[in-house]
Amino acid sequence: MTKDGSMRAHIVLLSTMALALSACAIQEPRQTPAPQPTPTPPQPQTPVETRPGSPPTTVEEPQPLPPTIREPVLSPASRALVGQAQTQLASKNFAVAASSIERAIRIEPDNPLLWIELGKVRQAEGNYVQAENMARRAVAMSAATPKVQAQAWGLIAESYRARGRTAEAMEAQARADAVR
Amino acid sequence: MNRKRSSRLRKYRKQIFAGIVLILGLAVLGLLAWVFYLDRQITAQFEGRRWTLPAQVYAEPTELYVGQAFGADALERELKRLGYQRVSTPRQPGSYSRNGERIELITRRFRFWDALQAPQELILTTRGDAIETMRNGRGEDVPIFRLDPLLIGSIFPIHGEDRVVVAPDEVSQLLPAALKVVEDRDFDEHIGVDFSAIARAAWVNLRAGQIEQGGSTLTQQLVKSYFLDNRRTFGRKIEEAIMAMLLEVHFSKQDLMNAYINEIYLGQDGARAIHGFGLASQFYFGKPLAELQLHEEALLVAMVRGPSYYDPRRHPDRAKARRNLVLDLMKQHGVLDAKAAAAAAKRPLGVVNSGANAGGYYPAFLDLVRRTLRRDYREEDLTEAGLRIFSTLNPYVQSQAEQALAQELERLDKAREPKTGRKLEGVVVVASPQNGEVVALIGGRQASYNGFNRALDAKRSIGSLVKPVIYLAAIESGLYHAASIVEDGPVEVKLSNAQTWRPQNISHEYYGPVPLVRALAQSMNLATVRLGLEVGLDKVTRQFVALGLPREPPQLPSVLLGAVDVSPLEVAQLYTPFANSGFSTPLRAVRSVVDADGQPLKSFALEVTPVSDPAAVYQVNRMLLEVMEHGSGRPARAWLPPGLTVAGKTGTSSDYRDSWFAGFSGSHLAVVWIGYDDNSPTGLTGSSGSLAVWARLMASIGTSSWSAPLPEGLKEVSIEFPTGLAARPDCGVDVISIAAPEQAQIPAAPGCEVGVFDSLGERARRWWRGFSR
Repeated sequence: MTKDGSMRAHIVLLSTMALALSACAIQEPRQTPAPQPTPTPPQPQTPVETRPGSPPTTVEEPQPLPPTIREPVLSPASRALVGQAQTQLASKNFAVAASSIERAIRIEPDNPLLWIELGKVRQAEGNYVQAENMARRAVAMSAATPKVQAQAWGLIAESYRARGRTAEAMEAQARADAVR
Repeated sequence: MNRKRSSRLRKYRKQIFAGIVLILGLAVLGLLAWVFYLDRQITAQFEGRRWTLPAQVYAEPTELYVGQAFGADALERELKRLGYQRVSTPRQPGSYSRNGERIELITRRFRFWDALQAPQELILTTRGDAIETMRNGRGEDVPIFRLDPLLIGSIFPIHGEDRVVVAPDEVSQLLPAALKVVEDRDFDEHIGVDFSAIARAAWVNLRAGQIEQGGSTLTQQLVKSYFLDNRRTFGRKIEEAIMAMLLEVHFSKQDLMNAYINEIYLGQDGARAIHGFGLASQFYFGKPLAELQLHEEALLVAMVRGPSYYDPRRHPDRAKARRNLVLDLMKQHGVLDAKAAAAAAKRPLGVVNSGANAGGYYPAFLDLVRRTLRRDYREEDLTEAGLRIFSTLNPYVQSQAEQALAQELERLDKAREPKTGRKLEGVVVVASPQNGEVVALIGGRQASYNGFNRALDAKRSIGSLVKPVIYLAAIESGLYHAASIVEDGPVEVKLSNAQTWRPQNISHEYYGPVPLVRALAQSMNLATVRLGLEVGLDKVTRQFVALGLPREPPQLPSVLLGAVDVSPLEVAQLYTPFANSGFSTPLRAVRSVVDADGQPLKSFALEVTPVSDPAAVYQVNRMLLEVMEHGSGRPARAWLPPGLTVAGKTGTSSDYRDSWFAGFSGSHLAVVWIGYDDNSPTGLTGSSGSLAVWARLMASIGTSSWSAPLPEGLKEVSIEFPTGLAARPDCGVDVISIAAPEQAQIPAAPGCEVGVFDSLGERARRWWRGFSR
């Protein structure tokens, strides 16, 4: 992994984390992990509460979609585990974070959101191939749910970018944008 | 003469004296050397044993969360399995109370691979078959909680000694007190050997004319146990006594007592010797030593004298009488008050069944764990280093699988001619396809027998289990779909050795032109061989490797009918991509390994790899559903709950030597094999043998339906099952639904074209069909 790549991965990781943490704070006050003083100091120490334009990843919110499409949501148990995983991820405890998400996958194996979360952990630890594979797994189980599919393609694009495979990254990104 | 001799004696007095001194000196030196040698031996043994801890293997922990499919009864069963004690108000970890639909418990402290879990009070309510609320002691909602997992065994050395070592703080005060009272009253004072006890025992035995009482101290018993030597020679006894005294010199009474508690032999479980009170507590009561009640502890103390003579499972009366004697002795010597002793003496033995319940033993699964870890660890690390291994076994699914297999094998054995005397063997593998975890594994008819592990080592011909692989290769080629027509007619293949291969259907009939879906569902050999040859043998054999078979089968036409030797576990791996939408995930039995201090050493993380086009796999899976509805898997319906959607395939090898079934639901993938070890014919097909085991199992583990969204680029099509012609669902013969590529052109059955108005004739046909049912 190049320095450049790791930095980029790091930025992506922290921003998705910030999203999910803030999401958690809304959904599950008890599970709110205190904003972790991340050990590594670089720039994206942005306040956890800021929320960029794109919608957060793991939240169920009224979806502006036709009623026939039911985007998956996380069960309370999975939500708690994903929240836990995000705290663990913040302290770079990749194995433990993955293990928390695996627990959720055992409960809801067909929920593409969880596979995307696991893919994010893999991406953060630099295992880009598994990050991509997890996202592809999510794509395969979300044929009828465009929003999740867009997220999954976004992760695929990210994993290609991290490996320097720009053309494939752009293609994947285009698919992500197309479903949105 | 006398004077002469005495003078000579006098003359040699000095020499004689010197000689005697020399001999004595040598003897003393020799004795010292011997004692020194014994000392080295016994201390090495003692120190060595202290750190010889077999790796402990845990089952997968049960997760509790709102919505989890646990009714109050099932939840209570689960707690009992974990050895939780029912009380009126839970105050101790490992206890629970139940009031109708409300269960209150205090969980045990447990160190998982990723976190230390402190004891916690949980209050659960259930409604129907699910957990409705879960709160902690402060009334806050708990979204998810992991119960401490069941200890399912350990990886013990080849000589069979198994133990669960306990630290002094895990042992109640009563246990050492009881041991002293019953086995060695002067333990705190003696020097390793108790001469007054020996004299007393000798007197008793002399009067009785037989050995009634032993004079061995706990220390001597410990020495004896270290060297596994039952010779009762006088020399051996002396050696033992010296070693006992040496141990006393080197170690404190507390250390010796703790070593004794972890060392002493307390029973036998097949090849496994149960050593120490920690394992005995798990083995006999299914819970940790710290949670034993008085009457349970007394029973274990009672068994020290003769674990097989006083085996509470085989000789409950004898065991109870001696337990009550122990309680009585404890009372006499002031360890217990009379009331407590009397109350404990009234209690039943309280021993759990070995096998299906706690304390059960899963050799086939543990063998898989052992082999998994042997890649990374030396044998000594596994048997001595005190590793803790978190496995994927689900004890409930395992016991259901054992039951399903045992029942069917018994039925099948009864149904065949009784003279042969041979018994059918069987294997079951159950995995969760999405994460590759092996949740149950049975390696043979006697699930608790530690021997030939057929699940891993029996490589047998898999017959028609190969067919989905061929159909997947066909669909992936883009040239076929489920309604494509293939001819089921005579096939001749010229082999390289100038012979001609003429395969047959099991029925020895020809079915003519049939759609792929029917050829697969009804397991037609000729149609399949033709299809496989059209697709290309090389493509088919490569497909096996892509799906996860460790080696490519030879490119021979007979491979198309399953002449490939594969173990049941490998079959499960081969079917994983089907159950997992085209993704392969390595089957694993271990989640994580931590060292004796709780530091994670290794985790086997979930990995997935796309190995086949999800849309192609989806089309094959839809055909595999038809196996269960219209084909050879149909008899399973007799056991399966109505509405449960499952997919699967039967397999029968040539001359009915192997009966297979492999199939999956939404949450479980299971493979069953039945056959004889000597590979002789069983007369069973996959459908008449293994299918019933599979169906009984699937019906009993609360599995979920297979479902997957229709992949992009595919469409739903209704076709007639026999002809493959498109037809409206309300028209045509045996109309089924398949998935086919959007651009696929499927000719319609005359009069049943989609969108054509209901004709009078069609209405008549419907009327007639309704009538004829």
